[in-house]
Amino acid sequence: MTEQNNIGLPRRQFLSRAAKAGISITAAGAISYALYDSEGPTPGVSAEDLVTLPDFSIPPEEGRTISIVTGSDRIKTVGRAIELLGGLCRFVKKGQTVAIKPNVAFASPPMLGATANPDLVAEVVRLCYAAGARQVLVTDNPINDPASCFMLSGIAKAATAAGAKVILPRDSLFKHTTLAGGKLIRNWPVYFGPFSKADRLIGISPIKHHHRSGASMTMKNWYGLLGGRRNVFHQDINTIIAELAMMVKPTLVILDGADVMMTNGPTGGSVSDLKRKNTLIVSTDMVAADSLGCSLLDLKPSDLPYLAKAHQAGAGTTDYESLKPKRAAIS
Amino acid sequence: MASGPGRNRRLESAVSILLLVVLFLIALAVLIKQADVDMTRFGLGAAAQPDSQKAPDLAALASGHPGGTPDAFKELSPPLVYTAGNLYEKINGKAPLYLDAGFLKLFTQRFVSRTDENLWMELYLYDMAGLKNAFSVYSVQKRADVETLSTMQFAYKTTNALYFVHGRYYVELLGSAESADLLEAMKNVADSITAGLKVDEEARIPELDLFPTDNLVSGSFKLSLKDTFGFADLTDTFTCRYELNGQSVTAFISTRSHPKNAQKIAVTYSDFLIENDAKPKSTADETIKKAAAKVFDFYDTTEIVFFLGPYVGGVHEAEDQKTAEEVAVMLINRLTDLTKTPKQ
Repeated sequence: MTEQNNIGLPRRQFLSRAAKAGISITAAGAISYALYDSEGPTPGVSAEDLVTLPDFSIPPEEGRTISIVTGSDRIKTVGRAIELLGGLCRFVKKGQTVAIKPNVAFASPPMLGATANPDLVAEVVRLCYAAGARQVLVTDNPINDPASCFMLSGIAKAATAAGAKVILPRDSLFKHTTLAGGKLIRNWPVYFGPFSKADRLIGISPIKHHHRSGASMTMKNWYGLLGGRRNVFHQDINTIIAELAMMVKPTLVILDGADVMMTNGPTGGSVSDLKRKNTLIVSTDMVAADSLGCSLLDLKPSDLPYLAKAHQAGAGTTDYESLKPKRAAIS
Repeated sequence: MASGPGRNRRLESAVSILLLVVLFLIALAVLIKQADVDMTRFGLGAAAQPDSQKAPDLAALASGHPGGTPDAFKELSPPLVYTAGNLYEKINGKAPLYLDAGFLKLFTQRFVSRTDENLWMELYLYDMAGLKNAFSVYSVQKRADVETLSTMQFAYKTTNALYFVHGRYYVELLGSAESADLLEAMKNVADSITAGLKVDEEARIPELDLFPTDNLVSGSFKLSLKDTFGFADLTDTFTCRYELNGQSVTAFISTRSHPKNAQKIAVTYSDFLIENDAKPKSTADETIKKAAAKVFDFYDTTEIVFFLGPYVGGVHEAEDQKTAEEVAVMLINRLTDLTKTPKQ
């Protein structure tokens, strides 16, 4: 006789169904447990594999921190500006490897001023060799396709002709870093390879209007060292620029204000976006360089919040006059 | 088989099917969400790549015939497509300007002269989803002192570049040098694009007709989508310039969905000006008074704000009050006529 419950289900069938259901639940649970990743996606690498960019700065000398030279010929103005700070021999010693990081962000012709001027880059390469450098590396991690950027900006050709080794970024050259005290640069990939081999670091950047940050100068130039999907940092552009200034300690920065991109930056596109300003700034203090350089964009340091942030973080000073800038004019 | 009196097999089947459908939908949602996860947020994986598979034949478009390239030019780089997800890879910090204006896709390609490798151009074709969006990015980036091209409604050239709006598309042709040959080639490319890329020829920007035409500086219209004059709530605002009494005066009009909204914006914008040290001024002009327009001195410039029907309008940073009021009266009279005119 088959025992039935009040809805007519035989006991044997009930037990069979219950067993099947139990097996199904157990199997689903087991599969879920096997596939469950309690840690989630790993952000970057473990702490012991993090790297730190070397400190390329040299001891400061009072009155020889920043120079401003006016003149239309970049070759002459950069030479004079460096001379005012003691000459490149003060910064580059015999046998050293120098990394130059020009702004090569876009595949744009040199005439448009969206990238560092190739003649200026080449001249700095020559000056480094003249000071005794063993090797000069020229590199950047551009926004656009790197090969196109280096080729169409004219920087690859000019730098190579001056004897530099041009390095294009590739995955193996990126390492993760965390900036001590940083809010954004935490376990983030940075362009590390070429700089790990260098003794000195020189940044070269044009002065440009920037739609998001207001201005792109020497501090923003280090954005090219960031890897990964760096555009997420545009949401907090002032903090990331300030953190870049904290992360990178260059030997020297060169801020080219010969032709300044006054509008439609950072890409520009028309020569009418540029204005002739005939000014070049060289400094060991990039915050001071940018604080001075922003006047060429008709801005005050207070118009660019990242300058105050970098100043507060100790990356440099916005009070560039306190550094007693050296000034000269070349006719 | 069990088929007791209390069982309703049809109901059981329906409930079972419903549960299966719900489970299927949950699984589908999980799969979609997982597929959408951005590992690069965690520093993992490569950034999005330009999708060359979806690029239109820009060479054909540029030359005006299938499979071709611009006359005397050849392809320097393949066509690439950028979407909202990777636009920054092409234009970096300028991407938000386009994204805020309704950007859909960017198509790019470079062409180089067959006879001079230093002469090359890059075509940027932005699909902005609509004429008004395309006009906005065109107008806010428009360079000063340029040559307007009369062959198109919104077009100009500089010594090395050509810019225009074609329906929903904003187009830039950027040259590597200041070359007459290059500019001529760009014009030909522009002609091919306007002839070959079909758009709604009837599409217009009706707001441009709100402005009176006397003393209007041709080609001075701009569309600011947000933060107009630094005020966050003054959105979708058209501006233009008038030359009057030897001065250049900026006028603005923003159309709101309802007269009450227009009134609210006019009031809050006036408050914003006062918070920023603007000083109310009196006026002797009867039209200004009748319209209840507010006149302010703002660091030795004159600001005027009014609302009329669904419109917020005014004058921005005029050198003197008299000229500012003349322009404001023109605007008020024009908008009064329009609000009186019954819609067809």
